[in-house]
Amino acid sequence: MSGLGWSVKALRRRPLRTVLAVLGIAISAAMLLDMVMLSGGIEKSFAELLLAKGYQIRITPKGTLPFDTEASLAGAVEVVEALRRDPDIESAGAVLGTSLYGRKEDSLVTLFGYGIQPEAQALYQLQHGEDLTADDTTGVLLSAPAAVLLGAGLGDTVSLVGRLDPQVAAGAVNRRLVVRGMVRWVYDYRGQPSVGTVLPVMQAMAYGRQQNRASLILAKVRSDTAVPAVAGRLRREFPRLEVYSVADLVRFFKQRLVYFRQLSYILGIMSLIVTVLLITTLLTITVNERLGEIATLRAIGIGRSTIVRQVLTEGTILTLVGGGLGVLLGLGTARYLDGILTSFPGLPSAFSFFVPRRENLATAGIVLLLTGSLAGLYPAWLAARAPIAATLRSEAQ
Amino acid sequence: MSRPLTEVPEPAGGRRGPPVLMGHDLRKDYPMDGQAVHALRGVSLEVRTGEYVAIAGPSGSGKSTLLQLIGGIDIPSSGAVEILGTRLDTLSDRDLTRLRLTRLGFVFQRFHLLPVLTALENVELPMAEAGVPARERRARALELLAYVGLHHRAAHRATQLSGGEMQRVAIARSLANRPALLLADEPTGELDAATGGEILSLFRRLNQDGTTLVVVTHDEQLASEAGRVIHMLDGRICD
Repeated sequence: MSGLGWSVKALRRRPLRTVLAVLGIAISAAMLLDMVMLSGGIEKSFAELLLAKGYQIRITPKGTLPFDTEASLAGAVEVVEALRRDPDIESAGAVLGTSLYGRKEDSLVTLFGYGIQPEAQALYQLQHGEDLTADDTTGVLLSAPAAVLLGAGLGDTVSLVGRLDPQVAAGAVNRRLVVRGMVRWVYDYRGQPSVGTVLPVMQAMAYGRQQNRASLILAKVRSDTAVPAVAGRLRREFPRLEVYSVADLVRFFKQRLVYFRQLSYILGIMSLIVTVLLITTLLTITVNERLGEIATLRAIGIGRSTIVRQVLTEGTILTLVGGGLGVLLGLGTARYLDGILTSFPGLPSAFSFFVPRRENLATAGIVLLLTGSLAGLYPAWLAARAPIAATLRSEAQ
Repeated sequence: MSRPLTEVPEPAGGRRGPPVLMGHDLRKDYPMDGQAVHALRGVSLEVRTGEYVAIAGPSGSGKSTLLQLIGGIDIPSSGAVEILGTRLDTLSDRDLTRLRLTRLGFVFQRFHLLPVLTALENVELPMAEAGVPARERRARALELLAYVGLHHRAAHRATQLSGGEMQRVAIARSLANRPALLLADEPTGELDAATGGEILSLFRRLNQDGTTLVVVTHDEQLASEAGRVIHMLDGRICD
């Protein structure tokens, strides 16, 4: 019989109590895991989203973040051409985001329009049909919600309206475009009806006449390690524009989420405290119930270290079993909560709040195991210092 | 059994050998409600190898306290205990624990087996603590269970055993590390007369096989089984 076997048997002595304690630890561990995933997950998900197509640099109008305002930058084509000439840059493309409308029978539906340069795009994944080509001024790409809203499918012609005059409800610019493909826009929130055309078409719909403006320019640097240097050089080259690397954007994002992260840390620490209290309480009760038994063991020559090890092992077993269940529970609840949170309007549906990262999971596991095991210290100390003779006397009475 | 149940210095001749236990002027006071209660008032005794000694007396006479002192479970207020020539008050807590493990065997009134363990595992426990290899301790535990007539109950948990069976397992456990001296505190106190009789027979057999025994009891029948009876009253030996 090993010390481990003895501990397992001791815990099985009061099965209901042990099961309840394990469940309590599992819930605390699940909460800790979710908080750990939440604290680092948003940043990771954000970075992954930005790097989905490998474009590491965003250029926006001065003082703005990408798609943060309706501001646009002038001379977009010239900037893109300058970037494409840069030997460190593999590809570059401009994007214009704007509101527009689609005709469905006699009514208008609100849409979001992307003007893109298909040869250098990082905003969508083609799901059905064909992609646009650079000179395709009659084609359009639809998201699934836009297709539903417009009642259109591949090959259908849709009517889009830009610069709507609210007084007469008539558009200054009307375009009839053929649906070439169905796409998933990476940054769309769930259910967002978006359409995409080549940049000149969207510029025409947004401004009434073709204007050389864009909301954002994306650049893909050949080597990831060169990104900071290239970003620095572009800042000097285009002083009237903002140049962000993905790392810069993640840093801004982290600043905005600092309170959120603190909240998750506090909740994580609270769940750890609950775990410690649960294990300490359970083991203290168990030790107090077994004081006579412990005194007997000490009397027959079982060392204090064996007794301490025994109690700590029980704490560790509870933590391991509870923690294991907690991982499953935590992943399940994370998925459920992610579904709720990512359905909020304004958030990209591809975004994830709870991202399991190996290093974070390992840290959470180690912290949980350490605290869970240390939670047995007080009851172990109680057990080790139990006075043998006095306890045996009181047991005999 | 191939080896004796207990390991003791060989007697020079006859049944009684050199002293296993010596107690010198043992006193024990307990504080109670601000006053000292004198549980032992200067007790000296000597137990030699192969002896079967009963310490008898009414409740509160100090016999259990004396057993705890000579077993190194409690510390005397004054006086000294020697086990096989080693003064217990010179030992660290760790060494004293080790001495209890390897040189002494204990049997308690309430058996105090670990209820979650089987009879076999309970007997193995002191040997595991002493670092006896698993195969060797299992064989020894089975041998001891056979000696106390419980080989067939080896796989049963302590809670599945009767009172008499539990006490026999406790006796087997006390013999696990071949102690020089077996100490028993009211070993028949929780048992009916018939079962108590079985334990008496077992003690008699143990002593005949060479085990040195000190038994505390208020049971006159048990005391009469011993080779020597020490009577106690009010914390003193009275004869």
